[in-house]
Amino acid sequence: MLLALQSLAAYGSPTLRWGADPSGGAPYVYADPANPQTYTGFDYEFAEALARQMRMNAEFVPTDWESIVASLNRREFDVIINGFEPTEDRAREMLFSKPYYLFRLQLTVRKDNNLISSLQDCKTSGKSVGTLVNCAASRLLENGGYIVKGYQDPVGAYQDLELGRVDAVLMDVAAEMFYARRNPSLKPAGKPFHTGAYVVGIRKSDSLLASRINTAIDSLADNGTTERIFRKWQLWDDEQLKLRTKGAETYDMTSRTFNWTEGLIKLLKAAAVTVFLAFGAMIIAVILGIPLALGQSKGGRITRTLCTVYIEFFRGTPVLVQLLFLYFGLPVVGITLPGWLTAIVGLGLNYAAYESQVYRTAFQAVPERQWQVAYSLGMRPFKAFRRIIFPQAFRIALPPMTNDFVALFKDTSTAFAIAVWELATAYRELANATQSYLGIGLIVCLYYLAMSLPLAHYAHRLERKLQRKSTGILTSGTEQ
Amino acid sequence: MITISGIGKTVGATPLLSNVSMEFPAGKILGVIGPSGNGKTTLLLCISGLLPFDRGSITIGVTSITAEESSLRSEKIWQFRRQSGIVFQHLHLFPHLTVLGNITEAPVHVSGKPKAVAEKEALALLEKLGIGQHRNKYPEELSGGEQQRVAILRAIAMNPEVLLLDEPTSALDPIRSGDVRNLLQDFAATGHTVVIVSHSVRFLRGFADYLAFMGKSELIEMNRTQQLLENPQDERTREFLHHSEMN
Repeated sequence: MLLALQSLAAYGSPTLRWGADPSGGAPYVYADPANPQTYTGFDYEFAEALARQMRMNAEFVPTDWESIVASLNRREFDVIINGFEPTEDRAREMLFSKPYYLFRLQLTVRKDNNLISSLQDCKTSGKSVGTLVNCAASRLLENGGYIVKGYQDPVGAYQDLELGRVDAVLMDVAAEMFYARRNPSLKPAGKPFHTGAYVVGIRKSDSLLASRINTAIDSLADNGTTERIFRKWQLWDDEQLKLRTKGAETYDMTSRTFNWTEGLIKLLKAAAVTVFLAFGAMIIAVILGIPLALGQSKGGRITRTLCTVYIEFFRGTPVLVQLLFLYFGLPVVGITLPGWLTAIVGLGLNYAAYESQVYRTAFQAVPERQWQVAYSLGMRPFKAFRRIIFPQAFRIALPPMTNDFVALFKDTSTAFAIAVWELATAYRELANATQSYLGIGLIVCLYYLAMSLPLAHYAHRLERKLQRKSTGILTSGTEQ
Repeated sequence: MITISGIGKTVGATPLLSNVSMEFPAGKILGVIGPSGNGKTTLLLCISGLLPFDRGSITIGVTSITAEESSLRSEKIWQFRRQSGIVFQHLHLFPHLTVLGNITEAPVHVSGKPKAVAEKEALALLEKLGIGQHRNKYPEELSGGEQQRVAILRAIAMNPEVLLLDEPTSALDPIRSGDVRNLLQDFAATGHTVVIVSHSVRFLRGFADYLAFMGKSELIEMNRTQQLLENPQDERTREFLHHSEMN
């Protein structure tokens, strides 16, 4: 019954399914703070108006900004309405409507920073600039040879600016107004610059839809609907009047060229970061796991409870959430770690919980009599542990530890969430730049395999070597 | 010299040791006999300082511990543990160390003896027992009898006042057992005390200087080996000896 009604409605007036990323998406599209079940924003209102003008029903499909073009081409929705800028590289794989809004870019710095008043200052003094990944600003920065740090949403970018993890942030004025203008610890650096355009993104095969959308955009501009919407969001300026005069609008178009050699080198650098993260985190996990295991199996009641709480907390919550917590939550209490260190510490703390369980099982597998023999030979607990118990437990623990290390290796990919430029982040960025998810994906997989296979191989060899020692598979003496 | 005065241990409602007292001179071998499950091994663990007891006290040479001290991790208990060396029934050699490593581990890392000296001494003992060629092998590459000799040497290497052996006959290698007997007798002859817990009267006959018979959790009687075997005072001792002779 419901289904029948739905299809009838769809037949009666067709649906315009439009995609946008609502996370950190204000004032474009975002969850209405007054009523979190619904969305609001100027793009939300514009999409509704556009659909109405075309005698269609608007249906909002939340998506991910970075891969929004790929999602469009996968037919998850029909059009992109998300402060979407036309770029030369995008033009190869999709159609753009005519502009419905002309935007500018604004550079923001910390209040106490008097050294940066333009983008050029960032370049000459080698300061890092944060921006949203895969947008006009990021293309501008990449082509200009700046030190760029890509973010998934403006919130993270401005927060890192406040915390000093990045020196400046370049963002569309709309986002800058909403997220930075009222922040007392930040200030605009210089005047807005670069005139860009927001357009509707359409699949290459939908040229009929494109012309219908263009007609509707003209009508909305002529009948004042567009002005009403952007005035409401305090984003209207005289620049927009150019859009009413057909053909008079001029805007700057950014582009991105992809150089395969450069891309592969970038991937190699990202792979090195991945290795660094994995080893750093494993060292923390391996060392911290020992006191946790001992505390849980041999400690007093309070120690035991504390260790158990730690272990269950880190095993029972997702590592991604833990990283976000460390990166964005800890600064609240005054601890600000850079992204790479957060990733190492976070993954290390998480895997320490797992390692402690590996150790605990391994320690328990060493007979109690081994402790007793050591004690009767005059060893104190610490020496007995270090010289007698630990080497035996290590041999038992090695195979599961190897497994964990390979898993940790792959889990370094969660660091993309806190803007660390490791292999998974590089994959997303480069695949977006080239729209070659398959080709770059295969290369990235090869990189991961090139790192994890030797690791597994060496661990296996070490295991066999240790095993020979105890089981005598290697018959060193033949005199028996 | 070992002095045990009135020690007792109870786990739950089960008495493992009830008021056991004995005095035993240095330089001699004592065999502790009796049916399984009658507290022989418990007594051995208490003498070694590894198992706390509830009542009484134990003195080895000039070091002694009381029941209270036996359950505390105090400096005293560590000192007391140094007085004895123990060879468990299942030996429990260190599987990650070679034969030489097993024997020299404690002299080098506890007493601080130079490694070369410790190895030279260990090798001399290994040669004496005819297993010098196995010095670089790992325990699992050895036969049961060879493993036992290594375990004894590991305990002797720390030169304890008292050497404690739990059921050594289960691992003895008959061809070589003469060597082990000689080793233990030589060790006792240099002023040490050897205590052997065994259910095998045959093994202890003509080897142990004294025999102690343990009934249910208590010491029934103790005497010179020959006297105890030929003229047992207690009915329970007589019955046990009668049974073990038939085996």
